Amino acid sequence: MKTSGKSGQNRRQVLKLGGGLVAAAGIGPLIVTERTIAQTRTIYVNTWGGSWTAAEEAAFFKPFTEATGIRVRTVAPVSYAKLKAQVQTGSYEWDITAINQAEWLRAEREGLVEPIDWTVVKKDALFPNAVFANGIAYCALGTNLVYRKDKFPNGGPKSWADFWDVKKFPGTRSLYNNSLRTVIFALLADGVPKDKLYPLDVDRALRKLTEIKPHIKVWWTQGNQSQQLIRDGEVDMMAMWNARASELAGQGVPVELVWNGATVSTTMWGVAKGAPNRKAAWEFIQFAVQAKPQADFSNRLYYGPTNPEAFKHIKPEVAKQLPTYEENYKQIAPSNIEWEAANLASIQERFSQWLAS
Amino acid sequence: MAGVVTAAPATATGPAAIPQGPGAGSVPWLLLMPATAALVLLFVLPIGYVLLLSFTDPQVSLAHYQRIFAVPLYTRILFNTFATSLTVTVICLLLAYPLAYVISRRNDWISLVLLICVAVCFWTGFIVRTYAWLVILGNKGPVAAVWQGLGLGAPPQLLFTSFASTLGMTHILLPYMVLALYSVMKKIDPNLLRAAASLGARPNAAFRAVFLPLSLPGVVNGSILVFTICLGFFVTPILLGTPKDMMISQLVNQQIEELLAWGFASAIAVVLLIATSIVLAIYNRFVGLDRLWG
Repeated sequence: MKTSGKSGQNRRQVLKLGGGLVAAAGIGPLIVTERTIAQTRTIYVNTWGGSWTAAEEAAFFKPFTEATGIRVRTVAPVSYAKLKAQVQTGSYEWDITAINQAEWLRAEREGLVEPIDWTVVKKDALFPNAVFANGIAYCALGTNLVYRKDKFPNGGPKSWADFWDVKKFPGTRSLYNNSLRTVIFALLADGVPKDKLYPLDVDRALRKLTEIKPHIKVWWTQGNQSQQLIRDGEVDMMAMWNARASELAGQGVPVELVWNGATVSTTMWGVAKGAPNRKAAWEFIQFAVQAKPQADFSNRLYYGPTNPEAFKHIKPEVAKQLPTYEENYKQIAPSNIEWEAANLASIQERFSQWLAS
Repeated sequence: MAGVVTAAPATATGPAAIPQGPGAGSVPWLLLMPATAALVLLFVLPIGYVLLLSFTDPQVSLAHYQRIFAVPLYTRILFNTFATSLTVTVICLLLAYPLAYVISRRNDWISLVLLICVAVCFWTGFIVRTYAWLVILGNKGPVAAVWQGLGLGAPPQLLFTSFASTLGMTHILLPYMVLALYSVMKKIDPNLLRAAASLGARPNAAFRAVFLPLSLPGVVNGSILVFTICLGFFVTPILLGTPKDMMISQLVNQQIEELLAWGFASAIAVVLLIATSIVLAIYNRFVGLDRLWG
């Protein structure tokens, strides 16, 4: 076991070197690795690092290794670009990654995604709607309106329209520097019903955003940064990921999450096209989406389980803070992934242009 | 294995050349091989690949370049990147020159302490220094506290402005400028200034006619160093600045990581490379890059 793992590692490095040189020469796709790499019993998982990886380690990796003997190594951080680089060069640093649905769909259309191996994955062991674009749903993350309770003793904002109402709810604000989420929030604030958002009217959204722009103190880009902003009182209300906000609430920061008009994005487990350890990778993914491991993960980081059965194992005080909890989920604005994947590039360009002007 | 095979033809001619050579002539060539091979493999080929991608991904066309110059956003970001880098370079130079002068001219504990401060600053990670500015300029930071302590009312918004972003970048790059200047100034013979004085030059004139010209290689070196590093700045403007301060590396990152638009990202990189070359060429025309080596 030990020796085979080591030679696998060496082969990996040699291939990495060879792949890199070939890529530099611009003939990347020609290299063939499928037959040269044996199915070693180690899988490599692309992960975010920090507390995310620690939670995955406890909820998925350790129990999986105990159950199957397959070892799990992690590579951080998650990189969508590396998925493309790996497939193009045929040189793999990891087998499995976890990225959001719209990204996964675009990757599938570019041919970067390994089809689900139905000889390994058992359809009847999956929950409804688990499969999408050859990925399997992992967890759900909300982007919510979050405010500091201490700044609004008589009740805080309850909708995106309230967020836009600077007279009724004075205070400093921050939004997420993310074109799609922000366009959706602006449309909701402008009175578009949740189920009539698509196709997104970008002109209308940007007009609405122009109203609030002078009141946005910072457009955040990183999760840590968003936490620092509201924890240190730099801003009084903001768009923020539910898991990060609940984490702060757990540390005693007086924050309140609004589920009305939140967006929820689903993270997908998937395998890079041609990844050397793909059979073991599918075995892992099937294991990780079962109720118990998903619940373990949600108990640690406040991401919503995609497997409804997981709620049976989630602590009740945690469950009601999750995006897929029924009370919360029925208030969110549902996404149209197909439309988002097709239009992201142009929305991004127009949003960046608006933001910079 | 592919790596060894690819590298082989490059070195194969080397050993055969030694016995035939008329003498010492081929040995320097042989010694140059590893460096040349490294440069070609790690520098020339990747840049060539980027250039190729910019014309061919996803199909062969000039569309990426047309888009860069047709959409105002991209020319604006390009202009902003150069303007910001120039501003930071000039501020760094103005701050660093007197500091480096004092450190290099004095031979006592003051110069030692100053030099240690610069070095510690240099060795501290730039992410740490960027986050430090978040605290210093923040709502609950010392600047706001002093402002309120003086009874001046609500503190002005310092964080998340172009000011904060420029300040952060200047702070991070200042040690590069100081050290580049210091290394040159330290080598200027103090006797030259004494000689100027003995010939009747007042200190101001001696500085202008003797010290300043001799320190110019340091100015050139430091300015180019700071300017080029600044062109690629990424994290600091994101964390301290506003979206208006978007630098070109943020744009490249967005295209590669979020949109998988490698062709367009490559085209942006090529435009940046060409624009930088033009700036350096102009600089060379008026200042002279050969001063870099004294």
